[in-house]
Amino acid sequence: MADTLLKVSRLHKSFGAVMATNNLSLDITRGHIHALIGPNGAGKTTLVNQLSGDMQADSGTIHFLSRDITRLKSYRRAQMGIARSFQITHIFENLTVAENMGLAICAGLGHNFKFWRHWRNTAAIKSELPIALERVDLIHRAELTARHLSHGEKRQLEVGMALVGKPELLILDEPMAGLGPGGTVELAKLIKKQKGRVTILLVEHDMDVVFSLADRVTVLVYGENIATGSPEEIRNNPVVRKAYLGEGG
Amino acid sequence: MLLIIEQLLNGLQLGITLFLMSAGLTLVFGIMQIINLAHGSFYMIGAYVAATVAAYTGSFFLAMIAGVTAAAATGCIVEMLVLRHLYKREHLDQVLATFGLIMFFNELVRIVWGRQPLFMNVPDGLTASIELLPGLPYPTYRLAVIGIGFLVAVFLWLMFTKTRIGMQIRAGSTNREMVGALGVNINLLYTLVFGLGTLLAGLAGVMAGPILAVEPGMGESILILTFVVIVIGGIGSIRGAVAGALLVGMVDTLGRAFLPSILRTVLSTATADSVAASLSSMAIYILMAAILVWKPRGLFPAHG
Amino acid sequence: MNRKQITLWCGAIILILLPPFALQTGSPYLLSLGSRILIYALAAVSLDLLLGYGAMISLGHAAFVGVGAYTVGILHFHSSAAEPVLTWPFLFTGSDNGLLVLPLAALTAAFAALIIGALCLRTIGMHFIMITLAFAQMLYYFFISLEKYGGDDGLSLAARNSLPGLDLGQGSHFYYLCLAALFLFLFFAHKLVNSRFGLIIRGAGNNDRRIKGLGIHSYRYKLTTFVIAGGSAGLAGALLANQTEFVSPGLMHWTLSGELMVMVLLGGLGTLFGPVLGAAVFLLLEETLAMYTEHWMIYMGPFLVLTVIFAKHGLFGFLSGDKEKNG
Ligand SMILES: Nc1ncnc2c1ncn2[C@@H]1O[C@H](COP(=O)(O)OP(=O)(O)OP(=O)(O)O)[C@@H](O)[C@H]1O
Ligand SMILES: [Mg+2]
Repeated sequence: MADTLLKVSRLHKSFGAVMATNNLSLDITRGHIHALIGPNGAGKTTLVNQLSGDMQADSGTIHFLSRDITRLKSYRRAQMGIARSFQITHIFENLTVAENMGLAICAGLGHNFKFWRHWRNTAAIKSELPIALERVDLIHRAELTARHLSHGEKRQLEVGMALVGKPELLILDEPMAGLGPGGTVELAKLIKKQKGRVTILLVEHDMDVVFSLADRVTVLVYGENIATGSPEEIRNNPVVRKAYLGEGG
Repeated sequence: MLLIIEQLLNGLQLGITLFLMSAGLTLVFGIMQIINLAHGSFYMIGAYVAATVAAYTGSFFLAMIAGVTAAAATGCIVEMLVLRHLYKREHLDQVLATFGLIMFFNELVRIVWGRQPLFMNVPDGLTASIELLPGLPYPTYRLAVIGIGFLVAVFLWLMFTKTRIGMQIRAGSTNREMVGALGVNINLLYTLVFGLGTLLAGLAGVMAGPILAVEPGMGESILILTFVVIVIGGIGSIRGAVAGALLVGMVDTLGRAFLPSILRTVLSTATADSVAASLSSMAIYILMAAILVWKPRGLFPAHG
Repeated sequence: MNRKQITLWCGAIILILLPPFALQTGSPYLLSLGSRILIYALAAVSLDLLLGYGAMISLGHAAFVGVGAYTVGILHFHSSAAEPVLTWPFLFTGSDNGLLVLPLAALTAAFAALIIGALCLRTIGMHFIMITLAFAQMLYYFFISLEKYGGDDGLSLAARNSLPGLDLGQGSHFYYLCLAALFLFLFFAHKLVNSRFGLIIRGAGNNDRRIKGLGIHSYRYKLTTFVIAGGSAGLAGALLANQTEFVSPGLMHWTLSGELMVMVLLGGLGTLFGPVLGAAVFLLLEETLAMYTEHWMIYMGPFLVLTVIFAKHGLFGFLSGDKEKNG
């Protein structure tokens, strides 16, 4: 149990009559890429929101690094090492790529009110910014306003920002959504590069991606964890085949 | 004791006016997600048109019809010409454009009617007072205002819970695209909702005519009170508008009426009066601040 | 030099050379109009910090202008009546000394901004707009209720504040004081928005949820910005009180807040130098229109509506060829 990074126990969340998360329990092991799959509306994003603190669970608990974080605010969780990307791209559209990445780096530097010096003139930014931009191949785009990036580049930027704080757990909600085949391959490479360095919870529809990247897979249907196991086990699990793979592809 | 009842009724009457204003505005906020500063202008238009028609015809009834119609018609035109372009824009754009509308309407009123306030007579049948309790006469007109406001509240409640169009409006507030997909003409629906809101504002203006001076800028003082009501009640909620309007009406009226005498029991008369003047003019804002600390989204937030 | 720098230098040179020009042409009127533009520009730039960078749509900025102005007015009142402002908990007398009064005006306004901001920033969106407006209105009524300081009618100042080495009664001295205040604040604000603090504020203005997702508690950054903007609006108010030698609750009226917003939008949101231009254009337009008709607002209103619907980048963006905000 020592290497369980995140432990979800009997989580519930409903929106009126819809049970978006239903008695869900889940363990994520440190260093794994843990994939979360399920049909549309299965409650994947809702679960991610509860893990990141953007939504409060109705009942149940979430432990991270053996601490109960169920009621913590999102920024406190981020400080503890949970980073996420959003299903809908969520970057600072009006700022440049460098400023976006700079903000992510500043976030890790803790609170201090520096009114005067240009934000680039600090040792931390000077040393980390090029590395962070390089990591997601955006260094040649640094001075572009983010809203002018291509869709794939926005995703890259977002993942890059999430990686900056050296998070313990990186949650990626459908990072490939809306990317062309080229973009998907690029991003999959990028994610693979992080394997072992950071634990990743990957929400994804694309089965090829999931089965090539993931160490473990959890299948969600109607907010319930109907199966968790290695990609091999999941592929051969009759319940999953019936409930999900059978209809989905 | 009688004095308290009288002031309670006054508070109720202010609350009713505020309710008429805030019901329309909160609908527009909640459904179209648009912030409209010019709502007070329709109140003013209602009052001016009514005062003019009343002066010419001598009939309050005709004046009321004219004032309400003018406000609603202007509202529909403004929605089609201006606000429609602002639905998907940022709040800042909406604030600035509707601020421009206020400038325009205030000045228009000054050009047409001049800078001097107009006065409107209380309608003929309602000039007397009714003895509610022995020793407690109360102006009939104010009672009528309370009654009409009450009827409007019931009407709105029935409309939103029982009729098809009410359901469509409520659905439109949660999901614009969805209602469009259901084959409802959303543009028309929005124009109608906006028109309804301005109609209510016009009605409030007409009814305030005989009580207050009809003058340019009258819309803005009521507008800000209306904002306080909506902040307290929660954006987009009719129930919140009722609660907020009554609270604000009562606190404002009772504060002005009783704070001086209450403070005189502990302070010297002069100090008490000046402190009471300051306090009572700020009372509703202090109430708002308190509610804000307690419930930042208002008493009855409409969504989620 | 690029187009933006040329625009800036031209603007600065015009502003610096205005007093000798006014002297030459014998139009002291130009000086007082110029001072007024500079003062409004200061207030508008401070509002731009909120609107253009932090996306805090405050409709109550005039309140802080008013608090600053009243600080000058009240201290002057007590100094000429030789009656202390406070006797308890410490003795505090009135004053006309600008070295004391002007900073104090900024501080008082900043303090008011701290309290109002702390409450308002608990909310977002439409709530924030309405609440800032409501609190400003509260201060407006509060000052109306202060019979001692003239209530509705306000207070007249017998003379402007004194500053060592300057005679503020002279138009050009006063003009250069305003110009210095504006330049200093622009310099400070320019540094601010490009600092780490400014980066965070711009981020929060652009996408507050994402800022929180990064683990940054944006509330205190926003509140600090609100206080800075309030304080500088207070300074503008103090200068305005000196210029007109008169303070009244009208200064806090929400139409002034609206006008400041218009200046920011006209000049260019999130450009710092834009609002200066916006203030100049707005006031000049007002002066000119007012020459032809007392009903200038009947033109200004629709002009505003059209600007909002059709113009996106403000005048400064147009002149400097700069289409990106937040630069
Ligand atoms: N804020 C909300 N209010 C009401 N219902 C919601 C809300 N968010 C999600 N739901 C509902 O909860 C269920 C789960 O939604 P969720 O977005 O978590 O699914 P998902 O698995 O992420 O789907 P997708 O594959 O489309 O991203 C859906 O039925 C959805 O309609
Ligand atoms: Mg989802």
